[in-house]
Amino acid sequence: MALTKDALLTYLQKKLRVDVSKVDDDSELFSSGLIDSFAMVDLLVFLEKQTGSKLGPEHITVENFDSVSRILSFATEHTKA
Amino acid sequence: MGGIVILGTPRSGTTLLRRILDAHPNIACPPETYVLSGAARFLHEDTFSRGLRIGALTGLGYAGFSEDEVLGRLRQFAFGFLDEHAAKAGKTRWAHKTAFDAFYVERIRKICSGHVHFVCLKRHGLDVVGSLHELVDKTGGFVEELHHYVRRYPEPLVAYAHAWVDTSTAIAKLAHAEPKAMTVTYEELAADPQRVVDGILEFVGEAPDPGLLDRALTDASSVGFGDWKTYSKRKIDTTSVERWRKLPVPTQHELAEICNPTLELLGYAPVVIEDEDDEDARRRYELGLLVNRMRAAKAEGESSET
Repeated sequence: MALTKDALLTYLQKKLRVDVSKVDDDSELFSSGLIDSFAMVDLLVFLEKQTGSKLGPEHITVENFDSVSRILSFATEHTKA
Repeated sequence: MGGIVILGTPRSGTTLLRRILDAHPNIACPPETYVLSGAARFLHEDTFSRGLRIGALTGLGYAGFSEDEVLGRLRQFAFGFLDEHAAKAGKTRWAHKTAFDAFYVERIRKICSGHVHFVCLKRHGLDVVGSLHELVDKTGGFVEELHHYVRRYPEPLVAYAHAWVDTSTAIAKLAHAEPKAMTVTYEELAADPQRVVDGILEFVGEAPDPGLLDRALTDASSVGFGDWKTYSKRKIDTTSVERWRKLPVPTQHELAEICNPTLELLGYAPVVIEDEDDEDARRRYELGLLVNRMRAAKAEGESSET
């Protein structure tokens, strides 16, 4: 099952300590410094577990993971059936 | 009424509490004087072969001074500075706080027991570790009390975690055994300062003071040793609570293994350790490299735009 927005926001809030009340679907997460490199690694580990897909070097771009909407759309595309 | 001694592992909010108590009209709590840890060091004794103790207490004992007499004079010496400070400030009693007293708890208890109220602060171990790490980074060195730990544990965060375990345990034991001791949780102080401070004032026999918190954070007159961060704040908040969740997960796991038993002893939930095998660790490392590459690509993109 694809990653849901609720599950992602819960992860951002509980594990990465992001104040999700100040985050909308298109808020920049990495570019704005809301999450740092260590947190981004944790997020990618989480996404690999959620999607069941191993991320390749070509996937690890700011474009794919810099906002809630981009992460969700990446997760939807890469979730194994 | 007697003095008030604040004890807490360094980075547990002791400076914040010092500033709050010092703002009370009856209580003078100077910046860190090191007078109690200094007095405690006077009581240091080495144990030689066959258990012979070498130090001032034993040495003065041979000269005809009982332990009670030595402790009484030491107490008078240390408390004398604090009494005088309170009198100069026009206040009726003193409170004392020096963060590194946490490493001398047993001897400070010996000096002070029965003569003071102890206010014992506790804070989540992983937050203390992170904050100690920042302090050491900024000051550029380790205070003597940490030398034993950094010599024994080559990883600094692990060393700080063991220091937290030892000092928190010593303080918890004192709080349990002393009739005039109360425990304050930093996280509760940050979340609901008025309620917690009212509780402390009641414990030490002072009336509640609704304006205390405002005065405490605006008074910049008492400059001295202590945590510089509290001076940048005008309001108590919870931004320093659970910052440990931002530590890298492997670091959380490493620290949790050391801190979890003490966290539970102090009433905190243990940090959940998710099993990670070698393959997980390798994968995390690979992703770390890719994230760094992503960051570099982003920086290059931004510089080519300008």
